[in-house]
Amino acid sequence: MVKQVQEAYIVAVTRTPVGKAPRGMMRNVRPDDMLAHVISGALAQVPTLDPNLISDCVVGCAFPEAEQGLNMARIGVLLAGLPNTVSGITINRYCSSGINAVQMAADRIRLGEADVVIAAGSESMSMVPMMGNKVSLNPAIFAKDENYAIAYGMGLTAEKVAQQWGVSREDQDAFAVESHRRAIAAIDGGKFKSEITPLEVTYRTPNLETGEVISTTRVLDTDEGPRRETTLEGLAKLKTVFDAKGSVTAGNSSQMSDGAGAVILVSEKILKQFNLTPLARYVTFAVKGVPPEIMGIGPKEAIPEACRNAGITQDQLKWIELNEAFAAQGLAVARDLELDLNLVNPHGGAIALGHPLGATGAIRTATLVHGMRNAGMQGYGMVTMCIGTGMGAAGIIEVL
Amino acid sequence: MSQTKFIVRKVAVLGAGVMGAQIAAHLVNAKVPTVLFDLPAKDGNKNGIALKAIDGLKKLKPSPLSNKDAVNYIQPANYEEHLHLLKDCDLVIEAIAERMDWKTDLYAKVAPHLGERTIFATNTSGLSINQLAAGVPAELAPRFCGVHFFNPPRYMHLVEIIPCTGSDAGMLDNLERFLVTTLGKGVIRAKDTPNFVANRIGVFSMLATIANAEKFGIRFDVVDDLTGPRLGRPKSATFRTADVVGLDTFAHVVKTMDDTLPNDPWHAYFKSPQWLQQLIADGSLGAKTKRGIYKKEGKQMFVFDAAKGEYVGAGEKGDDAVKAILKIENPAEKFKQLRASSHPQAQFLWACFRDVFHYISYHLGDIANCARDVDFAIRWGFGWSVGPFETWQAAGWQQVAGWIDEDIKAGKTLAAAALPAWALETDRAGVHFADGSFDATAGKLVGRSTLDVYQRQLAPAKVLGETAGLLGETVFENEGVRAFTTGDDVLVVSFKSKAHAIGPDVIDGVNTAIDIAEARFKGLVIWQTEEPFSVGADLQSMLPAFMMGDWDAIDTMVHRFQTTSMRLRYSHIPTVAATQGYVFGGGCEFAMHCDKVVAALESYVGLVEVGVGLLPGGGGCKEFALRAAQNAQGDVLAALKDYFMAIATAKVATSGHEAQEIGFFRNSDSVVFNAYELLYVAKQQALALYESGYRPPLKVAGFAVAGRAGAASIKGQLVNMLEGHFISQHDFTIAALIADVMTGGDVEQGTLVNEQWILDLERKAFMTLLKSSKTQDRIANMLTTGKPLRN
Repeated sequence: MVKQVQEAYIVAVTRTPVGKAPRGMMRNVRPDDMLAHVISGALAQVPTLDPNLISDCVVGCAFPEAEQGLNMARIGVLLAGLPNTVSGITINRYCSSGINAVQMAADRIRLGEADVVIAAGSESMSMVPMMGNKVSLNPAIFAKDENYAIAYGMGLTAEKVAQQWGVSREDQDAFAVESHRRAIAAIDGGKFKSEITPLEVTYRTPNLETGEVISTTRVLDTDEGPRRETTLEGLAKLKTVFDAKGSVTAGNSSQMSDGAGAVILVSEKILKQFNLTPLARYVTFAVKGVPPEIMGIGPKEAIPEACRNAGITQDQLKWIELNEAFAAQGLAVARDLELDLNLVNPHGGAIALGHPLGATGAIRTATLVHGMRNAGMQGYGMVTMCIGTGMGAAGIIEVL
Repeated sequence: MSQTKFIVRKVAVLGAGVMGAQIAAHLVNAKVPTVLFDLPAKDGNKNGIALKAIDGLKKLKPSPLSNKDAVNYIQPANYEEHLHLLKDCDLVIEAIAERMDWKTDLYAKVAPHLGERTIFATNTSGLSINQLAAGVPAELAPRFCGVHFFNPPRYMHLVEIIPCTGSDAGMLDNLERFLVTTLGKGVIRAKDTPNFVANRIGVFSMLATIANAEKFGIRFDVVDDLTGPRLGRPKSATFRTADVVGLDTFAHVVKTMDDTLPNDPWHAYFKSPQWLQQLIADGSLGAKTKRGIYKKEGKQMFVFDAAKGEYVGAGEKGDDAVKAILKIENPAEKFKQLRASSHPQAQFLWACFRDVFHYISYHLGDIANCARDVDFAIRWGFGWSVGPFETWQAAGWQQVAGWIDEDIKAGKTLAAAALPAWALETDRAGVHFADGSFDATAGKLVGRSTLDVYQRQLAPAKVLGETAGLLGETVFENEGVRAFTTGDDVLVVSFKSKAHAIGPDVIDGVNTAIDIAEARFKGLVIWQTEEPFSVGADLQSMLPAFMMGDWDAIDTMVHRFQTTSMRLRYSHIPTVAATQGYVFGGGCEFAMHCDKVVAALESYVGLVEVGVGLLPGGGGCKEFALRAAQNAQGDVLAALKDYFMAIATAKVATSGHEAQEIGFFRNSDSVVFNAYELLYVAKQQALALYESGYRPPLKVAGFAVAGRAGAASIKGQLVNMLEGHFISQHDFTIAALIADVMTGGDVEQGTLVNEQWILDLERKAFMTLLKSSKTQDRIANMLTTGKPLRN
């Protein structure tokens, strides 16, 4: 067990609905605005908490440049109207950035150097594309054959995992259909209501004939990605994208998305001082490297490590948010670790709900905490994902 | 300028069917804003029908659109809400279904909305223009005529203008000017007889082929093997053409002939045969129903066997002996042997030719203004390389006329009508002569149209028998090129090589032409007497040095190629490339280095060297690297990527406009719709550049390259394509080398280099690839099969 001076508790957690990128409902919502929105939304859950006590805001983002550059964390803090004393840091480990934000915020508290820290994630893939606006690879990658995999696209690594772990096209497609089915069921059952802070969006179009700008406003409160019409037959028709002879398609891969999530973590002292109800206790986090060409298998290494850190066995996990970067890697990880698929992504995963890269860790923390609590579950839950260039991350919390 | 200068600001097309929509597409290709009308949709958006048709244009192959933006300039409309838009249209083309009553109703509806000078034309393929004219108000009649496009209208050169008796002569001339220059069409003026000229004869030819196939017992697939490219006609030949047209449509045209030509001596043949009616009744309408005379099941093709009344396995070919006759070069000898042969296939072919000759000579006076119009109509409307009168004349008029006459008397022909007297005149050598073509009504020769628009055609289409001498006065000639002038101070250089491939003689010739032009002329135009512009470097000419492993000799050749490209750019006279057809590889590189390109719309442009395992070595890589640096707004790599992909994937632009979009041609280059006007426009551009005080561009002192990191970023993509089985290892090797060259080699990003730096990289990479066995396999495959090898 690690040494810590105090526990870190989650007292508020929320997210935006997730929109499709690059032409979805949130295409024009800036990532720093989404960030400010979820910070405000989380704070609204703990109205008695004195914002002056917030020491820092750690924000995950996978491509922190352009609209989400300029240390978006600090800008988000200021746009949310927090006191100037609240700091902000933008961090990046691609797809685990959001859960790493939670880990870093918790660790500041566990070390005793802070009592209130916000963790968040925000990503607009509509505005900043995958790989960023300017891709510049190191020429040294091509000096050695064994380094080529650094340049592999994520889809290609999924194909490698599908090949090595023997995950068939049919299984991947079936996994994708199930993801959509669960997500639609969750939406229809109102399961996401408590975790989403609805977002008001204004769409502006010029009327070239009258010279007027026509503004329409919509309140967004539902994820845009899940499709009711997805069927096995429909998915079977899709062409492979990353390997002419492969099995990974747009239909069994995660969707590109826009979204943000935020978590407020506090010490026990703060709980008492403001009479706050803790939703969950932060337990631990682990990250492990794997060969970059099979990056999708990363969680297989990170999950056992996190359980060891927490001093629990894998079967004590009651709810696992396993980011569905690709059905191929999700299934490979689940099979090798013998995860119970009923406990994995009960409300659907990124294939249906979308994957706004650096925001996903924070967003799925919201799903995990609210999902377990709404279901009346207590105990351990996990947020885990694979990470580009070959890593896996897993964070464990205990829902109280 | 004449008082009657005709400006077409906007056009309306009435009827968003197959023809209407595609005519609209071609109009917007030519930057003519077009309103496409159809009936108001019953449900939803009232423009639904037009919108659907516009959307359909994006999916059609070959594309009716010459560039991706064009379609946005077709404005959808419906007769209920938008008739007021007609007042701004200078030309209105009606293209609704072939029903006299529907057309007449529509005319009554639109006539009050037309502008005072609007030309109103109907795109009918068979209805009487004079009868239709009776349905338009008197004041509109002078501005009414027929205008018959052929499907697909972008690609088929022919448009028939059919005046009605009241058509104003000036209006017809204006319409012809617009069709010829703006839309690039080949116009003939037709008489108002059923099906006009091209369809009257083209459809008769198909009916005669069907009748003779039955008579001689020739299967339909054999008919198609014999009556396609072996006769200089399209691959779809006879029956596949019917499938493409649609058997119901074909039957409809035949019905029109049946109804409207009761006194035609061949009237008995204007009937759909029983088997054709049966196919139509079964819903086997041809390509549109995926089943007609032919059908495909799995990979196996089947053809309808009329004798058996069922489909049989297709793919039977003509007899070798008959095919050997068709290969005979001398037409007189060819026809003699065809007629003399006892082989049923030879007799069938002779009968097909004979009956068409019989028909066109019998009807020449009724349907066409002269024999030239008949030949152009069939060449441009049906894709025959030689027209029927030309074929007859080439085979020896007297001999063939005698044979036809004998066959008529022997009762072998489809109709018993005698040949017209003029055809049997004993001193007749043909119908086409230096001073004109035969008009059977007036019994005299008719010269070329004197309409001003044809003065722009310095080398117009010719029929056999017209003077087809060399254009202009030869200034210089070697084995590879002929350079000539027509006395306007512009030197024109044309390549003499097969497919205008560029070998050492062409390179020498171009350099000499530049020398001469610099000394004595105002500009230099590279123009070919016929398409293609050039298929690129002549690999065959490199073969000897290649076989002997004389790499230094090849390196010298490539160097000279590059120097020639650079001279086209930096010589002291303006240089203009006039392109049409294939503009590939080295041909593309020459064009890219000229001061200006004047491209025919139908220019197919690409740096396709990777197909033979090479990269562009004549300045193509360099030119794209330079243009990327010039276009870049800070990020050279971003500006370079699409250019890189164009080379690495051997992307071919399928129009002059698309060549501009991809970047082979600049936006300042010109696209000309009528290829016969290319030389005229190119010369005008050369003269304009000269008269503007031409100086060659200053050599760029230093331009930024994307460098090592840029190459690495490109290779990152390539690795994914390789690992994803989208490209082969050799594709990867070639593409990686192209990336190294285009990013400036082993230097940091942003490094300033000059053109010679990249040219040297380009040449070294070219030599590296040439020495690789996989590239050698690709070249050998191309030289032996004409097709690229993927290895």
